Amino acid sequence: MALPRASTFQLSRFEFPARFARNRGALVGAVLIFLVALTAVLAPLLFPTDPLRIVGAPELWPGEDPDFPLGTDSLGRDILAMIVHGARATLLIGLCASAVATLIGVTIGAIAGYFGGWVDEIAMRAAELFQTIPNLIFVLTIVVILGSTLGNIVIAIGIVSWTSIARMTRAEFLALRDREFVQACRAMGMGDGGIILGEILPNALPPVIVLSSLVVAGAILFESAVSFLGLGDPNVASWGRLVGDGRQLIRSSWYICAIPGVAIMVTVLCLNLIGDGLNDALNPKLRDR
Amino acid sequence: MLLPSFAGEENESVARSDDEIRGAMTLPLDVTDLSTTLFTRRGEMKAVDRLSLAVDAGETVALVGESGCGKSLSALSIMRLLPDPPARIVGGSVALNGRDLVALPEEAMLAIRGKEIGMIFQDPMSSLNPVATVEKQIAEVLMAHGELGRGQARARAHELLELVGMPDAARRLDAYPHQLSGGMCQRVMIAMAIACSPSVLIADEPTTALDVTVQAQVLALLKRLQADAGMAMIFITHDLGVVAETADRVVVMYAGRKVEEASVDALFETPLHPYTVGLIGATPVPGAARAERLADIPGMVPPLNALPQGCAFAPRCTRVMERCRHERPALTRPAPDRLVACFAVGQG
Repeated sequence: MALPRASTFQLSRFEFPARFARNRGALVGAVLIFLVALTAVLAPLLFPTDPLRIVGAPELWPGEDPDFPLGTDSLGRDILAMIVHGARATLLIGLCASAVATLIGVTIGAIAGYFGGWVDEIAMRAAELFQTIPNLIFVLTIVVILGSTLGNIVIAIGIVSWTSIARMTRAEFLALRDREFVQACRAMGMGDGGIILGEILPNALPPVIVLSSLVVAGAILFESAVSFLGLGDPNVASWGRLVGDGRQLIRSSWYICAIPGVAIMVTVLCLNLIGDGLNDALNPKLRDR
Repeated sequence: MLLPSFAGEENESVARSDDEIRGAMTLPLDVTDLSTTLFTRRGEMKAVDRLSLAVDAGETVALVGESGCGKSLSALSIMRLLPDPPARIVGGSVALNGRDLVALPEEAMLAIRGKEIGMIFQDPMSSLNPVATVEKQIAEVLMAHGELGRGQARARAHELLELVGMPDAARRLDAYPHQLSGGMCQRVMIAMAIACSPSVLIADEPTTALDVTVQAQVLALLKRLQADAGMAMIFITHDLGVVAETADRVVVMYAGRKVEEASVDALFETPLHPYTVGLIGATPVPGAARAERLADIPGMVPPLNALPQGCAFAPRCTRVMERCRHERPALTRPAPDRLVACFAVGQG
């Protein structure tokens, strides 16, 4: 039904924090992500020196030397410092790639859903084209062609991740474009641009926000994979690269791989939990469950 | 008030004498032979068939008929807001202050909708954007037509809310539609529709979704605003009680065509077309004997792709003749200020 949906979204604005917090997993996820983000922001204060500098003996196990609580890697670099600084790179890449994907996806989805007809056909066939190419290989190809810089990796991940957001946005626009308030806006003399941005988009955003939060998690995994394969930006110590750097020593010093691996896993898990929580809080169809 | 004019009849001599009455004067809205066809997989359907309609400044013309007879599509055709595909205007003209809207490009229509011609919709609750405040929605109309900047728009929105009798207007500016009642939402819609002082207002069943007491308030409000601004108004409804209260003139539509047109008094006193007689007969009268069953019109509006060959109303008509089944009656003028399309009229 159209009407309850419209009015419930408004209610959720006021009840949003309570509704979100009702999902325990989402709350835990949000707290952990907040801590990760905090360490990322405070990284230069916590570890003011370059994390890639050699500071101690190589391959110290966690706890072996109190100066390096998480040990050192094969070159004698502080793993804790690299994890803290890596959080910056990893989160930044995740957020930026998700932003790129959302920007592309919402733009294409909105135009396809609003105008329909052949515009829609072309946009959706293009989306299918992108969906049929294996994502990781596509990302690797783009990175190899454009070069391994942070910006290129972000763009590459954005290019492979926009399709689901475009489909979601299109579906919302299809449902909303024939609603009476849109018709009323046309009768008031508003143009297509104003209606798309000012009227339909704000109503279409809740599910898109949920999806974007999941794309952040996916983007972090993509970046980790790219860096693990040694195609990441050489000047950036992301978590994926730490895992990759440690892989030769996996038999003797497995912690070098495991610690950043756990960091990636926890972060991605938390982002997915947050996505679920947002879905519960923003999706009125599920709100009374 | 000026003489009501009847334009664009199928009978040419009638049309000519009309022009003489009207002279060179331009009406706010003058629709001539407007035809809208639905192009669907099941064939072409004439949803609006050669409709002519003229509305003078300060005049209210009611468009009456059952569901599916083409009232709303006529309104959307005039606004050029038809869902295309499947609907398209295939003929006729819509002269708004002398300018033919049918021929205008879409960009020109953007500047006209909301500015020269406003429209109010049936369901006020769903006609407002659920995630925007009242002020924002009214301001958007004003700014879309470049009337005001953002700062002045708030003041003007407040003014408009007071004009439409919104209780506690200053506080309601920041309200969201779900915080308002249906009647208040309709007041907001009306405020938006008249924000740029249009010369023509189309009200598509503006009171159908409202409580009866609120209905009366909204009707009174519309009449007041119309009188103050001298707006021409087209009032679409299926409620004859509302027609009697608001309209100066009535156009009865059936299956996409105009079947009768008359002043409101004449129509209720002596309805001519059997369909009009049926509609009036189907309206409950307070105080009438309980035992008396409410009259109804048997059957349904025929689907547009299966219109009978002759008069579309023939299968349901109480006065049907052999001729009605083969031939479509043209509009005739039995009295100076009325039109009817029926063979039985004038035959006693």
